[in-house]
Parts: sequence; structure tokens; C-alpha cells
Amino acid sequence: MTLKYTFKTALVGLRTNKSRSALTILGIVIGITAIILVMSIGQGAQDLIVGQIQGLGSKTIAVIPGRQPTGPSDVASLFTDSLKQKDIDALERKENAPNIKTIMPVVFGSDSFAYGDETYRGTIFGATDLMQQVFDLHPDQGIFFTNEDVKSRAQVAVIGSKVKTELFGASEAVNQKIKIKEKSFRVIGVLPTQGQVSFFNFDEIVMMPYTTAQDYLFGIKYFHRFIVEADEDKNIGATVKDIERTLRISHNIEDPAKDDFFIQTQADLASTLSTITNVLTLLLTSIAAISLVVGGVGIMNIMLVSVTERTREIGLRKAVGATEGNILQQFLTEAIVLTVVGGLVGIALGALFSFLVSVVLSTYVGLAWKFTFPITASIIGISISGAIGLVFGIYPARQASKKSPIEALRYE
Amino acid sequence: MALIDLKHVGKTYTSEEVATTALKNITLTIESGEFVAIMGPSGSGKSTLLHILGFLDYPSEGSYHFDGKSIEQYKSTELARVRNKKMGFVFQAFNLLPRTSVLENVKLPLLYSGLKESRWTERALKAIEAVGLTHRVQHEPSQLSGGEKQRVAIARALVNDPEVIFADEPTGNLDSKSGQQVMEIIQDLNEKQGHTIILITHETYTAETAKRIIRVKDGEIESDTAVKKRVDARESFTK
Repeated sequence: MTLKYTFKTALVGLRTNKSRSALTILGIVIGITAIILVMSIGQGAQDLIVGQIQGLGSKTIAVIPGRQPTGPSDVASLFTDSLKQKDIDALERKENAPNIKTIMPVVFGSDSFAYGDETYRGTIFGATDLMQQVFDLHPDQGIFFTNEDVKSRAQVAVIGSKVKTELFGASEAVNQKIKIKEKSFRVIGVLPTQGQVSFFNFDEIVMMPYTTAQDYLFGIKYFHRFIVEADEDKNIGATVKDIERTLRISHNIEDPAKDDFFIQTQADLASTLSTITNVLTLLLTSIAAISLVVGGVGIMNIMLVSVTERTREIGLRKAVGATEGNILQQFLTEAIVLTVVGGLVGIALGALFSFLVSVVLSTYVGLAWKFTFPITASIIGISISGAIGLVFGIYPARQASKKSPIEALRYE
Repeated sequence: MALIDLKHVGKTYTSEEVATTALKNITLTIESGEFVAIMGPSGSGKSTLLHILGFLDYPSEGSYHFDGKSIEQYKSTELARVRNKKMGFVFQAFNLLPRTSVLENVKLPLLYSGLKESRWTERALKAIEAVGLTHRVQHEPSQLSGGEKQRVAIARALVNDPEVIFADEPTGNLDSKSGQQVMEIIQDLNEKQGHTIILITHETYTAETAKRIIRVKDGEIESDTAVKKRVDARESFTK
């Protein structure tokens, strides 16, 4: 029997029982829909996170004080005052780290900002004027602070859009004074609305020279971060090594295991987060896959009923010359056509739902969420549903092919 | 060489440890071109005999040569092939595929024949014409009368131009007029086309359209006689 006719026969067989066929594939449809949806949302989340991290500049390297904690009792991870001015001086010497373009020390903390009767609690971010280029921040009212302000510990602040609205409402903020810890800071700039960028919300921030923040607010001599920028992408690895070596000398550390700082590149961060989203996606996909097994058992059940119901047809086909192979092929094709059709419907529904999710997330939640048609997931979905048809169809199909023609013809 | 040659064939069914003998010691030859009616009361084993002759069941004793070759020498795919090419079946209960047109029903044996698909329709239409149902080609079985259904079944049996046609009580579910039409066709198939016909019936007047009558009783051949005064289905076929 030709392949074309096998398909035609299978389609006729399924069409004669339209509503039963539809109900049979429902389990597969739901399973595949769930898989496509989970994989598509997982991919979207990953793209979003990685995109935002890369948006921060792939050439940036963060030097973080303390040690990457290895457990809850790891005291060394608490040495958070290890990054000092002498380290910056050492890193700025070209012979130590030739590929460093800029070094920006950063301090941060959280506190209340006050203007008149209004108060707002947010993040204080002390840095240098390099902040503008590293994070691509440009005030839309007023100006950013300068290197001179950093040197002179000027009591100036650049505020985020949310801070501005909460404290000043619609009125002019530039040149007004806000109070933090009873000290006055003159607002010199207001940032446009940025939204959530990676882990920072720049809308809820007050930025000032790090020197000012250290002296007037935190009372510390050390730094919470160095944000280092390499001159080129390909030099990031070398720069990381240069920084490690320089800081070890500066801190008198011989054994790298006793480092009181650690280095994180954007690439590290992106790959760590990708791993997390991948694991989560895999976990959810596995759960969805269980429903496919249930769907497959449903198919097997209905196929067995169908084989019994069609005993007479099977007997007749055998009497007119069908071999066991022909009958096996016919019922197996029916099972596979069923599951593959279920898979296709599932892919369409899954893609539709994940498109709706992307619309909701980008329109109502304000995330830069992009919808991409889950091609890999679709290929996997089609293969899995075909395989389910094969696995769960083989038993009923064998039952059908083994029927003796006279038993089958006698069947009333 | 005889088309069909049975020697000491027996058939015993075993179910739930009770053995039932359906056939014993059947020895019989049928030549190509014969028209044989097998008669007997229900339970006499005539259907079992037909099933064995038609490769639908195996004998448990004795030997069966079809076309000179022992049934034991055929592999199961070869049995299917012989059923397809050399045998045609007509059943009492018609056994047409429901919700499937007359044309597609008649095509069914062609699916398994290895014949090119482009020639299926032509072959099927020729068989449908032979039973006079050209005006019903696209009808479904549910739209046909009993006699028409049986004629479709005959067309299906004919489509591969088989050597022998097995008809198991073909008129059993039909009124006398339809039965007569069906028997006319069957008689013509034997006389004009030279098909070997093996017909099962319990009605004497139907059996007498054949050239030879084998009576079966309690699983054994009771008599095997030539028909002296043959009934012409076209003329005097009445109950």
C-alpha cells in the first residue's frame, strides 16, 4: 500500500470519528501548548535579562570587596572595607593594568531624602562623572556633576525622575536643596525616566560625587565597588588578571584563596543568570512533559477502543489481502497523525499565548519583552508528539494486526 | 491439476479446554471453473470449510493444496497475497466500510494489490459496471438497499479478477427479488467469465443454481453430487 494511501486511509478513519479524534488529541494539545509557552517565556526572560546586562556595557568589570561567599559561616565575605584609594592609584598606573580605560569608584547606601514636608526613601549612589558614560545617563534638566565637584566634595546631587516627582511634584527641582541626614545638597540635574535597568532603578536614586557621599553621609574611607572599563572586549580577560595581580600586591596577599575582593564581569553575570533561567525553564518543561505522557496514555486507550470497534473492518481488510504489516501501518499512521495534529495545534496555541504574554508584559508592565516564535521548541514539540504517537500507538496497532480474520468477521 | 485439493482435513477448536470438532476427514477436489454449492444445516461446519478454503483459517489435520501448493508452504504475507489476487469474498453481512463511497469500497482490495494507483478508479468502475451499479458510484452503503449492498460486495470481490469467488450465504439477508439478482450475477460470473464459484447456502433453490452440490453434516461430507436439473437464476428463481 502506498504511503499516500496510508495517510488517506488514516485521515478517513479519523474523520469518521471527528469529535472523538478531537477529544483524543486534547491531552497532547494541552501538553504541547504548555511546553511551547514555558520555553518561549523562558527564552523571553533570558533575552531580557541578558540584554539588560549587556546594555550596561559588555566591557565593564566590577571589583567587589570581600570574597564570593562559599557558605553561611564564611567570615571573609564580610571584609567589605578592603577597596581603598591606594588601590585606585595602583590600578591607574599603566604598567600595572595597561588595558584599563577608566576606573570609577562607587559607594552606595539607602536613606531618606527630604524637601520641605516631603520625604522619599531611595538609594544614594556616590560615583564620578564617568557615571554618565558607563551607564549612559544624561540629565534632561540641569547638568551632571563634574570631576571638579568630585575633588572639591561639592554638596551637589543629580536625582532620578521618581525622586523628583515625589519631592517636587511638577515644580522646578534644579537649584533647590534637598536634605539627607540633616545635610543639604543642591540639586543640579534631573534624570529622565529610565525604568528598571538590570538591578538598579535609576528613577529612585540620588547621585553625587563619591567623595561627598563618603564624607558627609557614610563616614567611610573605603569603596563598595570599582567599576572598571576595559579599552576593548578582547582585553577583558587580561584586564581581570591585571586587576587581580595589582590588588593582591596592594593588599599583601600571596595566596589567591585569601583574596579579600572578587571580580565580576558582565559576561559572568549574564552566563550565571542564563544558567538560572535555563534550569527553571527545563524544570517547568519537564513538568509540562508529564502531561504529554498522560496524553499519550489517553491516545493508547482510545486507539484500543477503536481497534475493538473496528474488528470487522480489520477482518475485511485481511480477507481482501491486507497483510499484518498493512494493518499495523494503518493504525500506527492514525496514531501518529493524531498526535502530530495535536502537536501542531499545541504549537499554534502555545505561540499565541506567549505572544499575548509578551504584549501584556511590554504594554502593561513596561518590560522590554520581545516575542520570538519558539522555533526550537516547535521542532521539539512536533518530534515529541510524533514519538508519542509511535510509542503509544504501537501496542494498539499490533493488537489490530494480530486479529484473526475469521474472528474479526464473526464479530458482531 | 485441481485448483483445490483437500485430503483428510479436520478442524478442531479448543476453547477453555473443551475441544470442539468442526470438521473431520474432508477429502475433496474442486477444479478451476466449477460452480460448487456447499449445503448443510447451521453448525454443520460448512462455514469453517469455506474459511479454510479461503485461507482465513488453518486446518488442524490433513493437507490442503491450493493451485498445486500446500498451504503450509505459504508464508503469511503470501497467504495475504493469494487472498488478494486469486480469491474474492462475498459475505452474508456484506461487510462494506460505513461512511465510505461505493467506489472506495470496491477499490479496497486494490490498495493491497500493488497495482498502480492511477489505474484503481478505472478497474473499480469496471467491476461496478459488471454488477450494474454505475448509477450508485458515489453513494454510501447506508443509502443502498440490501441487494445493492451485496452487489457492491460482489464488485469488490471481482475487482482483482480472482480465480475463485467464495460466497458465504450471499442471499441470506436479502428478499427473494434481490436474491435472484445477486444469484444471476454469480451464475454469470461462472458461465460467462469462467470464475470458479464456491457458494455456501442452506436453501436448496439457491444451491441448485450451481453445477455441483456438496452436503455437509456434523463436520463430514454427506454427499457430493452433480446437479441434474440446474436452476437458471434468470428464469425460475422463486421461493
